[in-house]
Amino acid sequence: MSDIPPTRQDPIRLHKQLSAIWDTPSGWGRLSAVNHTVLGKRFMAAALVFFAIGGLLAMLIRVQLATSSTAFVGPDVYAQIFTMHGTVMMFLFAIPMFEGLAMYLLPKMLGARDLAFPRLSAYGFWCYLFGGSILIAAMLAGVAPDSGWFMYTPLSSSAYTPGINADVWLLGVTFVEISALCAAVEITVSVLKLRAPGMSIDRMPIMAWYLLITALMMLFGFPPLILGSILLELERAFDLPFFDPTRGGDALLWQHLFWLFGHPEVYIIFLPAAGAVSMMIPTFAHHELVGYRAIVVAVIAVAFLSFGLWVHHMFTVGIPHLALAFFSAASGLVAIPTAVQIFAWIATLAQGRPRFDVPMLWLGGFFAVFVIGGLTGVMLAMVPFNWQAHDTHFVVAHLHYVLVGGFVFPMMAALYYWLPHITGRVGEHRLAAPAFWLIFIGFNLTFFLMHLTGLLGMPRRVASYPAEAGWDWLNLLSSVGGFLMTIGFALFVVDMFVQIRFGRAARRNPWGARSLEWAMPTRPTSYAFASLPQVDDRADRLDPAALAPKLARGEGYLGFVRNGWMETLGVDMTTGRPEQVVVLPRQTYKPLVSGLATGGFVLCLLFKTYLLSLVMLAVTIASLLAWTRGMGARQDTGPLPAGHGESLPPHWQARRPPSWWAMAFTLAADTTLFASLLFGALFLWLVAPGWPPSTLHDPNPVLSALAAAALLAAAFAGQQAASRLLGGSSPLPWLSASAAAHVAGAVLFLVLALSVEGRTLHAHQATVFVLYAYAGLHTTVGLIFAGHGAVRLRGGYLSAVRSIDLRIGRLWHDYAAASGLVVLAASFVLPLLAGSLGDGR
Amino acid sequence: MNNGRLIWPALGFIVWSSAFIALYAMLSVGCRFGWDQVELPGGMSLQRAQLIVILLVHLAAGLLLVLWLRKTAVAREAGAGAFLARVAWLAAVAALASTAFSFFGVFGLSSCH
Repeated sequence: MSDIPPTRQDPIRLHKQLSAIWDTPSGWGRLSAVNHTVLGKRFMAAALVFFAIGGLLAMLIRVQLATSSTAFVGPDVYAQIFTMHGTVMMFLFAIPMFEGLAMYLLPKMLGARDLAFPRLSAYGFWCYLFGGSILIAAMLAGVAPDSGWFMYTPLSSSAYTPGINADVWLLGVTFVEISALCAAVEITVSVLKLRAPGMSIDRMPIMAWYLLITALMMLFGFPPLILGSILLELERAFDLPFFDPTRGGDALLWQHLFWLFGHPEVYIIFLPAAGAVSMMIPTFAHHELVGYRAIVVAVIAVAFLSFGLWVHHMFTVGIPHLALAFFSAASGLVAIPTAVQIFAWIATLAQGRPRFDVPMLWLGGFFAVFVIGGLTGVMLAMVPFNWQAHDTHFVVAHLHYVLVGGFVFPMMAALYYWLPHITGRVGEHRLAAPAFWLIFIGFNLTFFLMHLTGLLGMPRRVASYPAEAGWDWLNLLSSVGGFLMTIGFALFVVDMFVQIRFGRAARRNPWGARSLEWAMPTRPTSYAFASLPQVDDRADRLDPAALAPKLARGEGYLGFVRNGWMETLGVDMTTGRPEQVVVLPRQTYKPLVSGLATGGFVLCLLFKTYLLSLVMLAVTIASLLAWTRGMGARQDTGPLPAGHGESLPPHWQARRPPSWWAMAFTLAADTTLFASLLFGALFLWLVAPGWPPSTLHDPNPVLSALAAAALLAAAFAGQQAASRLLGGSSPLPWLSASAAAHVAGAVLFLVLALSVEGRTLHAHQATVFVLYAYAGLHTTVGLIFAGHGAVRLRGGYLSAVRSIDLRIGRLWHDYAAASGLVVLAASFVLPLLAGSLGDGR
Repeated sequence: MNNGRLIWPALGFIVWSSAFIALYAMLSVGCRFGWDQVELPGGMSLQRAQLIVILLVHLAAGLLLVLWLRKTAVAREAGAGAFLARVAWLAAVAALASTAFSFFGVFGLSSCH
């Protein structure tokens, strides 16, 4: 352990010392990257490749629809094209693009050296890349998904899509969503815990607020779709009839689960872009952001309201008027907090002395396009209008105005704004203005006219239309606009290439921004900050020019190297007071191995080799467990000097290290999935046709009581194990007891699940079966946590002050017990509810 | 400082979410069991009565929350805690207005058609 280091150092020497630790190796070593700058750039580059693929598919759509006589592919292929266009743009471009930008920028804006879980970033990247590749490979093989990007049942059910097309979507997208959930946990914990000292919650840059709230939305928004995908795949693979109305299922359950994700998804895409807008406008206005607090309130309101309007995608399916009113009101309401943000940006520009440059051009385009999209959104929120425009090209126009206006335009501005940061170069941008105008004009020509074709009655997702309809000239102009836009994007790519390859070396902070990401060398070093700043003001009104040299000289926190560790600071979530030294994992191939194993598992499911899939699942779990090898310490450590006279414990001796919070937020997402499953069970009971079932599930009270006892025993033993460790005695007996109880629980739930009769005959039994499987899976994972605790104990990584492994395990044991008890209660209540329906419907 | 205050900004809209879930769920339950056909003394249906009660309970909870948060928000406290209190108060006001606006239909709209 080093002594207290000097507060002022030679910047070159410090740079070399830090680079030796933080730099990603060259050659094949690049595959071991865990650095946020490297992975952020990879995410963005991959997302832009997928954007190009999605754009190519869009051009094919416009060729197909150019006139009533230009159809060049049949409905089958056309269905694959428009399904893949939507899927690629939503899942493989928009979300990963913002994840990449967040990954790249967030630690730099927060004054940290990296994100909280660098290996999770890398694993998320590989999951994204492999999942996306499965989808693209399927398209090239001619078996792409073809049921629309929303995969409505029964069209996507095995009766109407018997091939693997729908399976490719369900498994591929779920694979990509693992990546999104990794990013959500990563971003949430990083914003809350890994900030510069002094950066209290009210001093965070506004983009951190946007990203925090977006990540929380992802934690609660993605699980319903993951559950829906699992249930639909179970129906397709094992004939469990969740969505089959002839056997007690309901196609509308899929729509509910999909849009419970799907509508918040729109805001999940928009809010990070709005965060970027909120960073750029003050820079170009030369005025701090007006209404910082109002914007925080507005973003919170948007986040909640966006979860209360999913049914506006389902206004025509036959829902009671009163329910329509709830969702219509919420759909209209969400425009208000969105408008608050727009007015705050306008006020910032009005208060300042705006300077116009290329990013501002794109921001102007964003204002115009997004506001139009918002207004047509309010129109579609009104039920009578929605009924008229439903499933027409008006909706296509609206969603493109919102998504392209609300995400693509701000992202283009962001690319121009932060490219000097990423590349260290500035370009001439002679092509930037023509590229913008081609895209802006092309976009409006393409999509504004779709409002008209939609109002004239042109439906979505049709491969051709009759000449008598009179839609030819509007469609032809739309197609011309589409190609203009494509030329614009081609110019943009050339402009980017020119800047990256031939641009002049940029001076630091070329725009005169006042946030922390500019207080470092550009291109950024792998360690971001040679030392971490003390923040005494709001993080978007700092002086990067004055700060940067001080930090480079090591005058901030952690301005030294120690033990070859990659260190950053963990702070109190509210006050920003430093409370722990977080030691991050070094470069490793483990995330790649885990990603490959997960990919193998997904492919086995896709090709229905289920025994082999179990092997791949075991390999995946083993590879993930291998991540913990060598993490932590084998002896207790005193407080570590952190600079500025502060001494802090390493994170493995802290009370609430980032990993504890990561488990807490993961369980929040898991709870959402479980709640969605219970919602599905109750929805089918109340709404689905074919109820009550001819036979009701008959729960076994003895086995159920034993399972409940096993769950409680496992949780109690897990708690005792942690308590014993904290008290200085060996937790091994209690860990063993917890493991044994989990084994008993897993076996009991397996027996209970297999004893459910008629699970392919009716959704009632299928639902109970899945509930048992959920509980069994959780208690099995509990066994892994207990075993992992024992291995860590044996390895010497646990002591009274190094107890985090057991405390994380305890969270899981408690959740497994609580959710398992709810499952057991539901197995008794659901038959009673089904029986209460009388003669049925 | 107690990090529990971090949840405050969400409290108002948690009440709104609770109202949403309760009203949408009980609307479906009532329709399934024909509560709109059960007339109470005074001519109101059981369905409408239970929905109105749910809404009023949530409006009362939201109002109490606004009043409670206001006390903290207007205190002359500075720093992160004060910021969170003020954000929480404003969000609770917005959520209370949202609750009233989103669900006022329970007083008049047909519930099961």
